[in-house]
Amino acid sequence: MKRRPETESIHGFRAPGLSRRDLLVGGAGLWISVSLPRARAAAAAAASNDPRAFSSQEWRSVEAITGRILPTDDTPGAIEAGCVNFIDKALAGEDRDAAPGYRSALAEIERLCRARFDGGFADLTAEHQDRVLAELETATIEGWDAVLAAPDEFFATVRMHTILGFVLDPEYGGNRGYVGWQTMGFPGAVHHLGGALPEHMSGEKPFVPIWERPSEESKRDQ
Amino acid sequence: MPSEPHHDVCVIGTGAAGGVWIDACTRAGLDVIALERGPLLGPADFMRHDELTNTHRHDGFAPDWRNTLREDTSEVATPSHSASLAQCVGGGTAHWGAVCWRMREDEFRVLSSEGPVDGANLADWPIGYEDLAPYYDRAERRLGVAGRAGSNPFEPPRASSYPNPAHPPRRATLALERGAEKLGQHPFPTPLAVNPRPYDGRGMCLNAGQCSTFGCPTQAKASTLSIHIPAARLTGRLDLRPRTRVVELAAGKDGRVRAARTIDAEGHEREVRARTFVLAAGSLGSAHLLLSSRSARFPNGLANGSGQVGRNLMFHILSYAGFELPEPSMGAFGPVGMVSVDDLHPSRASRGFIRGAIVSEAPEPGPLWAAYKAHEYLGSETGAWGKPLKDFLRRYAYLGSLISTGEDLPQHGNRIDLDPDHVDDLGIALPRITHRSHPNDLALARYFEEQMKEIALAAGAVRAYGFDFSRAKGGSGHIMGTCRMGSDPATSVVGRDCRSHEVPNLYVPDGSCFPTSSGYNPTLTIFANADRAAAQFLARRKRRETT
Repeated sequence: MKRRPETESIHGFRAPGLSRRDLLVGGAGLWISVSLPRARAAAAAAASNDPRAFSSQEWRSVEAITGRILPTDDTPGAIEAGCVNFIDKALAGEDRDAAPGYRSALAEIERLCRARFDGGFADLTAEHQDRVLAELETATIEGWDAVLAAPDEFFATVRMHTILGFVLDPEYGGNRGYVGWQTMGFPGAVHHLGGALPEHMSGEKPFVPIWERPSEESKRDQ
Repeated sequence: MPSEPHHDVCVIGTGAAGGVWIDACTRAGLDVIALERGPLLGPADFMRHDELTNTHRHDGFAPDWRNTLREDTSEVATPSHSASLAQCVGGGTAHWGAVCWRMREDEFRVLSSEGPVDGANLADWPIGYEDLAPYYDRAERRLGVAGRAGSNPFEPPRASSYPNPAHPPRRATLALERGAEKLGQHPFPTPLAVNPRPYDGRGMCLNAGQCSTFGCPTQAKASTLSIHIPAARLTGRLDLRPRTRVVELAAGKDGRVRAARTIDAEGHEREVRARTFVLAAGSLGSAHLLLSSRSARFPNGLANGSGQVGRNLMFHILSYAGFELPEPSMGAFGPVGMVSVDDLHPSRASRGFIRGAIVSEAPEPGPLWAAYKAHEYLGSETGAWGKPLKDFLRRYAYLGSLISTGEDLPQHGNRIDLDPDHVDDLGIALPRITHRSHPNDLALARYFEEQMKEIALAAGAVRAYGFDFSRAKGGSGHIMGTCRMGSDPATSVVGRDCRSHEVPNLYVPDGSCFPTSSGYNPTLTIFANADRAAAQFLARRKRRETT
C-alpha cells in the first residue's frame, strides 16, 4: 500500500511526508516500520467501540477477517479481543495513511465475494472465508482490481494488525479482558506491580498474572 | 543570530561517549555545554512505553530520525528508519540491553591476525587491550556491572572482579547452561549493567522484563541518563540542552571549529561557541553532521579531507535461533539474556569464515516480539494464521531464543553519505546508508544459527528454528565505524586519541571511531575508549598543550 502522510514531530521539527511502507525484512515477518507519532491520542479514543475509520459494512468485514486470522475455539479469539476496534482506532489515528488501502481492498473483496459466492465476506462460511484469505495471502485471487492495495500486502497488513490488536496493551482498544495475554500466558507488563522475584523466574513460586489481580480487574471494569 | 558565551567544551550527543566526556570534563572543573537532539525523558515516560511504541513503531525513542537505505551504489536508496537509535538524554544507553563485554586482545589486531581479505577493509586498532584495560575496570565499576569474573575462559585478563554478583537466572537460562555443558562448552553469566542489588544510589532490578529497547523505570539498568549526567549536573558546570539539534559545525579561518549552529524545538537558532568540540552523536549522526558541515576550506565536509568520513560502516551480523522448551521459559521476566557461551568465538578459518561471535540467551520479553516469528516457528512463509497461528501463540510462555553477535568485516563501500534526493524538514540532505554484508558475514551468520539450534536442542528444546536477521540493518543497535581511528591521516579520520587529524579542537570518541566491530556488544568498549580519550585530553590540557 502506498502511504505518504504529513507527520508532526513531537520534537517540534516538522517532518515532511515519507513513505511508511512497512518492510518485511528478509521475508522473515519482522516489521520494521517507519516512525509514527505517539499513540496516546489514539489510546484515548480506543476505549470507545464506535467506528471511527470504518463504515459499519467495513467493520463487519474486518471483524470477520480477524476472526479467521485468530479464530475462536475453546478460548477467545480476535473477535472477543476486539481486534477490529484496535484496527479501527489505528486507522483513525497513527496508521491513518493505511486507511485508503484498507477501504480499497475491502471493497474489492466484497465485490469478488458477491460475484463468486452468494454474499459478502462476513456472510460466507468459514471454509469459504479461509479460501479467500489464502488466495489473498498468496496473491492468487482472480480478478483483483484494486489499485491502492495489492492482495498480499493487504493480507500481511491486516494479519499484523490483528496480531497487534490481540497482543498489545488493552489501552489501544484490543486485547479486551486481556484475552490475548491469557491465550499466550504473558503475565503482563509488571513494573508498576512491583515486578517479579528470583523465585518467580526459576519457577519455584507461581506468579500471579495481571489479569488475575483483583485491583487490575476492578480498574478495568470502571 | 544570538551567540552564546564561550564554553570550555561543547559535547554533541549524550549517550555513552558523550556522557563520559560530560562527566570527566565537569569533574575536572571545565564548563561544559551538552547539546542533545532528543528530549529529557525519565522513569514516568519509560513506564508509558510498551511494545507498540518501542518494538513496533519505534516512536518511543527516535520518532524523528530518518535516513535512506540501499545495498548497492547501483540502487536508488529508499526512505528507511534506523529503528534502534535512541534520541534522548542518555542516547542508546537509555534503552540498551546493558550487555557489557571487554574486547579480546586479538580483536584489536584483526588485520595482523588475519591478513588482508578480499572486499574487506580490515585494520588494526591504534590501541591495544592493555590501553583500555584500566578504563574497562573503571567503566564496570561506574556502571555496576553484574557478572562472575573468571567464568569465561576466553575473556582477556582483568585486574578486578565485577562490582556486582551475577543476576539470578530464569528457567531458560538454567536449561541453556545444561545444554551448552552437554556440548562441552563453558557457559557463564552474561555480564550485565543491571543492578541485582541496590548500587551507587540506584535501585535494584525488579525483573519485570521489557528491558532491552526500553528505558528502566527504576534506574537499575545503568545509563548516562542515570549516572553521568546527574553527576555532572551536581558540579554546577553542565549546561544541558535537550531538544537541541546541531545542524552544522562551523569552521573558522584557522581550521578549528568555531561554533555549533543549533536549532531548538521552538525553532530558535543559536551559535554555541566553545574551545573544544566533542562529537558523540553515534556512527550515523556524527558522520552525517561532519558531511553536512561543508565550507570552502572543507568542501567534502568537516575533517574529511581524506574522504574517509562515513566509510567502514558496521552493524554486526546478528543471528537468532528461537526454541520451545517443554517447561515455561520465564522469558517475560528479568533483564536480557543471562547466560553466554564464548567457545565458538575465536577465529578459525577452517570453518569457512574468519572471526566469530559471542552467543547469548535472548529471552522472549514480550508477546509481540514472539509473535513476529510465527513463520519461522511454523517453518512456512505462508499459512501463519488461523489455528496454526493461535496454537503458536499459546506456546509463548515456553519460548526462548539465542542470539549471536557476529563480527562483521568493515568495507570501504559500506558507508553513509548525503542523499541527493531526500532532505529533512530543515532542507538538510538525509543520511544515505549504503551497506551490503560481506560473504564472510553471511557465512558466519549461517554457522552460528546452526550452532545455536544445537545448543537449544541439547538444552531439551522440543523445537529450534532460525530467524534471519542478516538484512535487518534498520534494526541494528550496534552501529559502528564511519570515523575510523588510526595513525594514518590518509586512511582514518581520527588519531589514537580520538582527535581529528585535520581539525585540532574536534574529538569523535563514540562508536564511529571503531576500526573493526569485534564479536561483542560494543557499548562497554565505547564507555572505556571515550573515558581513555577524555583522560588524554584533560592531561594535555593540564600540560597546556593545544587542545
